[in-house]
Amino acid sequence: MIRFGSTLTLLIGASLAVAATACSDTIEEPGNGSDDNSAANGASTGNVDNTFDHNTDEISVWDLIERQKVEGPPSFTSHVHSCSKVRYANLANVLSNVGVDINSNTQFSAGALYQAAASAEGVANYANRIRENIGITTSGASAMFDVFAAAAPEVEAKLHTLARCQQNGVAIAPLFDPTTNACNIDAITCLIGVPATPAHVSLCNSAVSKGSTPDIGKGIAVAALLAAAYTCE
Amino acid sequence: MKRISILLLAAASLAAAACTGDATSSNGGNGGGGDDGNGGSGGSGSGDSLNQTLAARVVDYNAALRIAALRLTGSLPTLDEINQIKNAADDTAKKTAYGALIDNYMGRPTFAKQMFGFWQDAFKIGGSPDFDSGPALATELTINNGSYMDLFTKADMNCPKFDPATGTVTEAACANGGTQAGVLSNPGVMASYFSNLGFRRVRWVQETFDCVRFPVEATNAPQDVGGATPYLGVWPFTSIAGKKSGVGRIDFQDTTSTMCADCHETLNHIAPLFGNYDTKGVYQTTPQVTLPLDGAPKAQMTDWLPAGESTAWRFGQPAADLQGLGKAMSNDPAVASCGVARVWNWALGKTDIVDTLQTVPDSTIKDQVAAFTADGFKLKDLIKAIYTSDDFTKF
Repeated sequence: MIRFGSTLTLLIGASLAVAATACSDTIEEPGNGSDDNSAANGASTGNVDNTFDHNTDEISVWDLIERQKVEGPPSFTSHVHSCSKVRYANLANVLSNVGVDINSNTQFSAGALYQAAASAEGVANYANRIRENIGITTSGASAMFDVFAAAAPEVEAKLHTLARCQQNGVAIAPLFDPTTNACNIDAITCLIGVPATPAHVSLCNSAVSKGSTPDIGKGIAVAALLAAAYTCE
Repeated sequence: MKRISILLLAAASLAAAACTGDATSSNGGNGGGGDDGNGGSGGSGSGDSLNQTLAARVVDYNAALRIAALRLTGSLPTLDEINQIKNAADDTAKKTAYGALIDNYMGRPTFAKQMFGFWQDAFKIGGSPDFDSGPALATELTINNGSYMDLFTKADMNCPKFDPATGTVTEAACANGGTQAGVLSNPGVMASYFSNLGFRRVRWVQETFDCVRFPVEATNAPQDVGGATPYLGVWPFTSIAGKKSGVGRIDFQDTTSTMCADCHETLNHIAPLFGNYDTKGVYQTTPQVTLPLDGAPKAQMTDWLPAGESTAWRFGQPAADLQGLGKAMSNDPAVASCGVARVWNWALGKTDIVDTLQTVPDSTIKDQVAAFTADGFKLKDLIKAIYTSDDFTKF
């Protein structure tokens, strides 16, 4: 017995249409018409004599081929990490982990923006049998960046006070030096969740120094570091 | 048009086989694909260049730790945890520290909460006690390092309750009657996927635990049954209801628009096992699912199968009831591979293996599948193996 695979099924569906037309010499160009994403011929669509129209929501063969053309075949992509978005529930934890009050009701606070971003972040809709979308969308990324930008003042004020950011039980220095505004490498490490490099510090200092005011520069630095670190989970 | 040309190129090779009657076997892989090669012309680079890219990756346990922490606990690693790896003397010490932290993460209550979310997404159900009991059972098996196959064969206490606040699972029996078989008989699943002839329930089982959509059984000797395309199934064409079989009110042997039997050969041999669950997921003594006909009449066995045919997971693998179905599934290597592939895709940040065809070739996970099988399909061990694998820790 042969075990069908989904990719093969899609291609067979498309190829059988080609096969049939090739054998009968009546070629109908695939995708000819208005809907390039229509189900491949051979999908279980009904007709006037059939009793049931089947769901034909499977991924378009065109999209699949295009994706593999860009990303590479599964034999490659399956070995490497994808850039999935931070899950909505995890995003709350990430924000809390860097000092943000996610339960805040203050207008335009990071917490309030987070609470309003559930739909944009593609949360699950189990009533309709839809899991959480972990793909990055324009609306989801935009909403997340808004949250990060709004989070900057809270992060700056609280990051160094968090238990999570202590080193051997000792609090670290603030993210920005109170006197010079220089960025602290340990605080950046705690902010981004991996060891910060001199390049991180340099970019942080650059953002601070190029802001129209130091506070605006600090906000940009925090938001940029968060966006860079957490666009992908 | 370029996109059409690509399809035609791919299709042409199969079309030639169709015309000559030479079927090409898929080499499997979870989610199908049949792409076990090394890149080929369809990808973004040649096979050699992609292999070189994979070979050029280097281990970064700190990068892996952040991903693992977010997936396994939902939170970021602490500064001390980050420094445990950063300050380790060498790669061996870093690997040891990383492995210890993975064990630590999987021992926390937050791990249970993360797994509950994972199973809700995998099952696409949740949000109420009934709908959460299936994901809760899977969570219980995961945090207790139970067998994945218990999802299909566990005979009692299959409707536990999960408390996200404490990350604890409280055992409870299902109250929906009938033979109990892990999540296969789960009332939430049955209710959520109620449909004509029970086919959505079958599709849920197929796609969730075998990782491919129908059709799933194909022969290398297609039969001409009078349609525009040959019948590709392995079951005898007359093994399902239809006009040619002379039974049933739906013609599953229709060939006018497509070859219905290519999918229904398998569907119809499984669906009667789910037919007696009503809209609330409660087992009744007679079929409760309906037909898509005027008046929505209740299904009868002859609407699925002719007399003499028995229910089965696959051709040659009979299943008299849901326990039998669960046992047949647990003996199917494809089911084990699918389980590994789903955990693999979760770990590596992939979207749904079926909905988006994020396929995992067998060659990618062969070591994990072999260890999973040899280890008695233990879920926690599988997760540890994947989160400490080269592919997870190299960037």
